[in-house]
Amino acid sequence: MSAMRTYSVAVVILGGALAVALLSLLPAEHALHVPGYVVALLGKYLCYALLALSVDLVWGYVGILSLGHGAFFAIGGYAMGMYLMRQIGARGVYGNATLPDFMVFLNWQELPWYWGGFNHFGFALLVMALAPGLLAFVFGYLAFRSRVTGVYLSIITQALTYALMLAFFRNDMGFGGNNGLTDFKDFLGFSLQSDATRAGLLVASAALLSLFYVVCRMLVGARFGKVLVAIRDAESRARFLGYRVERYKVAVFVFSAVMAGLAGALYVPQVGIINPGEFAPANSIEAVIWVAVGGRGTLVGAIIGAILVNLGKTIFTGALPELWLFALGGLFILVTLFLPKGVVGLWDRIMARRVPAPPLVAAPVRQPEAGE
Amino acid sequence: MRKFLVTCALVLFAALAANPAAADPVEDILTGFASSKYDDIEKSIDALAASGDAAAPAILDALSAGDLQVSSDKKLYIKGDDGSLKEARSGADATGEIPPGLKAVKVNNRVRRAIDAAMGQLTLLSPDPAKRLSAAASQFHAPDPAQLPAVESAIAKESDPAVKRAFEQARAAIILVKSDAPDADKIAAIGLLAARGDEDAKSLLDAATASGSPAVADAARGALKGIERSLAWWSAAQNVYYGLSLGSVLLLAAIGLAITFGVMGVINMAHGEMVMLGAYTTYVVQQAVMVAAPGLTDYALVLAVPAAFLVSGAAGIAIERSIIRFLYGRPLETLLATFGLSLVLQQAMRSIFGPTNLQVDNPSWMSGSMDLGGLAITYNRFWIILFAVAIFALLTLVLRKTALGLQMRAVTQNRRMAASMGIRTGWVDSLTFGLGSGVAGIAGVALSQIDNVSPNLGQSYIIDSFMVVVFGGVGNLWGTLVGAMSLGVANKLLEPVAGAVLGKIVVLVLLVLFIQRRPRGLFPVKGRAVES
Amino acid sequence: MTEVTDALLYLDGVTVSFDGFKALNTLSFVVAPGEMRAVIGPNGAGKTTMMDVITGKTRPDQGTALFRGSADLTKLDEAEIATLGIGRKFQKPTVFEMHSVTDNLLLALKGDRAPRRVLFARETLSERARIDEILETVRLSAVRRRLAGELSHGQKQWLEIGMLLAQEPELLLVDEPVAGMTDAETADTADLLRRINQTRTVVVVEHDMTFVRALDVKVTVLHEGSVLAEGSLDHVSADPRVVEVYLGR
Ligand SMILES: Nc1ncnc2c1ncn2[C@@H]1O[C@H](COP(=O)(O)OP(=O)(O)OP(=O)(O)O)[C@@H](O)[C@H]1O
Ligand SMILES: [Mg+2]
Repeated sequence: MSAMRTYSVAVVILGGALAVALLSLLPAEHALHVPGYVVALLGKYLCYALLALSVDLVWGYVGILSLGHGAFFAIGGYAMGMYLMRQIGARGVYGNATLPDFMVFLNWQELPWYWGGFNHFGFALLVMALAPGLLAFVFGYLAFRSRVTGVYLSIITQALTYALMLAFFRNDMGFGGNNGLTDFKDFLGFSLQSDATRAGLLVASAALLSLFYVVCRMLVGARFGKVLVAIRDAESRARFLGYRVERYKVAVFVFSAVMAGLAGALYVPQVGIINPGEFAPANSIEAVIWVAVGGRGTLVGAIIGAILVNLGKTIFTGALPELWLFALGGLFILVTLFLPKGVVGLWDRIMARRVPAPPLVAAPVRQPEAGE
Repeated sequence: MRKFLVTCALVLFAALAANPAAADPVEDILTGFASSKYDDIEKSIDALAASGDAAAPAILDALSAGDLQVSSDKKLYIKGDDGSLKEARSGADATGEIPPGLKAVKVNNRVRRAIDAAMGQLTLLSPDPAKRLSAAASQFHAPDPAQLPAVESAIAKESDPAVKRAFEQARAAIILVKSDAPDADKIAAIGLLAARGDEDAKSLLDAATASGSPAVADAARGALKGIERSLAWWSAAQNVYYGLSLGSVLLLAAIGLAITFGVMGVINMAHGEMVMLGAYTTYVVQQAVMVAAPGLTDYALVLAVPAAFLVSGAAGIAIERSIIRFLYGRPLETLLATFGLSLVLQQAMRSIFGPTNLQVDNPSWMSGSMDLGGLAITYNRFWIILFAVAIFALLTLVLRKTALGLQMRAVTQNRRMAASMGIRTGWVDSLTFGLGSGVAGIAGVALSQIDNVSPNLGQSYIIDSFMVVVFGGVGNLWGTLVGAMSLGVANKLLEPVAGAVLGKIVVLVLLVLFIQRRPRGLFPVKGRAVES
Repeated sequence: MTEVTDALLYLDGVTVSFDGFKALNTLSFVVAPGEMRAVIGPNGAGKTTMMDVITGKTRPDQGTALFRGSADLTKLDEAEIATLGIGRKFQKPTVFEMHSVTDNLLLALKGDRAPRRVLFARETLSERARIDEILETVRLSAVRRRLAGELSHGQKQWLEIGMLLAQEPELLLVDEPVAGMTDAETADTADLLRRINQTRTVVVVEHDMTFVRALDVKVTVLHEGSVLAEGSLDHVSADPRVVEVYLGR
């Protein structure tokens, strides 16, 4: 894809978000005013889009189908949640200046050591990126070194997020148990209830998404990306050419996890809560389907898919809540059966019929791993 | 000499009991109930209990319920709930006219207390050994020194060895709490309790360690140590039993997967929903039987097994024909499509049956439990273990011995060759998938007995099932068996140490590590087929 | 380790078993530097398994496998062995189907494979020249922009050989390079391998006897996991055991 096109995607995302943000600051009676909940909703979509982008990077380009990316997203979210909890200070129900409400409720006397430092945003930011990255490193190192691939890998990533979900449900983990972290007041000193803060968060999400989109685009366009696709399509060929496949996989997996973690971090202030439900295996699989709907291995597709599906979810759950799961389930089936290249592939096909042009990106349909 | 006297007394007693024509003291006692004084009534109660007469329990029952009536000629009647009248002693329907001056025998709280005590004593002497046993147990659990003579006389009369032992233990318990019992008796009692060696004995002994007499306290401490050791063993054994039962649940849930995933290599994320369908089928069958033949409700489960197999099997075949067939060789896509399917199936059940848990009844032969040494074997778990093993054996046979099994293996080992030998590979695929799904449905029947029947039933087992199959080694039924059992036991042994949730997490983490060490599981199938 | 041999490739007593079945049975196989060797033998003789052992894909149960007399091939993994200078063409042609022909060669070019180096690598002029040169050699210049997946079977075989060349290995292992080729292509391939052999050591596995004859090199006959005969093609064809198990009467 040309640099022009790369940047135009980023510009559309950022420009659109800026426009919506500005409109939301108009007086409420103005015809073009965008209500605050729409801003928060869009911000949420963009965070999901970033999560989808991270999934597409590993699945679309390296063939690692992670069913546990929701875990990285949630960990980033918890790191942000911990910062936001500390920001509440003495304004909680119990008025305790250091302990969050749930700890007071559990009769805890002091802050657990791992909550230390979260009153500084810089430290929290570091954890939002490093904690998912570290988990991905340990997990990826073990898994890729012993050459766990394909569905086996998918299944153990799913088990990973499942185990984390169980762990975070426990009260004595010190992350609020069942209820998670919520009742946040402000972020970097700005009230989370104000329209301006919401608009700011939306723009921040768009900026982060655009930034990562451009970085990913450059990454997959460069020789590094070619190695990744080579690994995806013929792992053993790559090995016999001298590439340490596991190192590439770990590197990309960690990068992708950091991306997902930051997405989760920005998600939390916009929805106002983070709880263990975010670790549910179904969430991770849903992120995969966004990518499939948009078009695997295209990056743009991940963004489009995440926004489309979540828009559908919002509309459906408002109008016909009981039909949503039918629709989502049907989407999984139909897309895999009839749209292996997703919306982007469909678009390419339609365009190709009109003007013969090179495909957007050569997305894989099936790649039997050659062992010999 | 004393023995002789006792024997004489017994003979006499037997003779009396055998000869109804002899003067009947019970009739005399019963006339006491006609008195309007509570004191007299109380005395009559005690005397009636001491007589051990067969009609006594019914009379006392009626008395405490306010149904005992006395006529002006001092004859006793029991009024039934339907207004009928029976003669109290014989239990025969009262004939003729309503006896004159009929009124209820009065009771107050003191009388009630007397009735309760009398009932306890009566059950010690009840002709039904099960009743005597439970009377002994209640004495043991709430030892009352006042009952010592009653218990001792019961011991003397008892002929059933099991009941006798129970009485002796009850006596030991009483002696232990009786403050004025001699040390020697207490130490003997401690010996008896140590032999019993369960949680209850332990708490009694615990109390005895605080005894004023050092000899008794020492003996109690010694006995405690022994009991604790054996209790630890029993509790470990109990956990292993729980583990095996969890393992069989896992086995049931995973064994269908061992076929679809292990043998065919198809990732079916809707496998849990096949299990769920089986559970819902059980519910429907049970409801239908309840309506059509209420007497057979206990056996609805037996009917549900083939029904669930057919329903889930048919669903499986439909899924294979309509979705999976198009995705062979694309495992990741299969995974996604079948996950979507699982969402659809869950929502469908939610729409049809509602989101709440459905009540599936345990048949009577599956409720309750038995004690085996220090083990409590619950019948439902026990049946599930048996059931799982039976299904496993059956499936192994089907794969080994039937034509379908043979063709299945042929197709999975070399599809092209099998096709060229005239095997209709498409049908074999469908049937294999149907078999795996049908077995999942059968698992649903079992799970409906121990878990909530809800649309989410399958979800809670899917990850565990995959873990079992992968742990055991793909393509290997025995691996699945060993995998399921060891995971079940590991889970339950960790539970007391780490807590239920943490135990599960530890097992999951260990599994993930294990898979990374040995990606092909415990019992890997070697060969080219798995490498490509 | 002290140098125990001056052979480039030295296998001794190598045994590989799968579930009790011995795919290689105390195999000994020595290739001198600069040599070209043809390996023949019936299906299932263990030829591919031998290559698996040399390239680190399969670990032998027993035996020694040394490269340049010092590197213990049984201890290294595929990537390390490739970096040492052993290149391998698979029996079933394996190229990166979703990449163009040039990109396939680019990825194969000798160079630092560490992720952080590759991350900032830019294609240099000398790399481009080298790719052009290889494209000429394997006669794929005309299809350089096509996706490798769109090539014909024979072209894929050649592309894979081209990738081997790009790797600049000291030793090339070539498993059935002419399977599925026309007679003319077969002759060309023999020609190509002989040219490659002018600068590198080559081990070729082939069933095609005309091809082996065209190579005109020392032949090793494998049977049931061990060496049955070794020598010139005429020499081994005269061996009655070879005729019995492989060549046929
Ligand atoms: N991973 C494996 N698992 C089980 N058996 C194997 C494996 N790899 C090879 N074999 C067996 O080892 C034997 C030797 O196989 P190999 O591929 O080395 O033969 P070959 O000489 O290359 O035959 P061909 O000429 O057909 O390529 C065969 O019987 C094969 O089935
Ligand atoms: Mg071979």
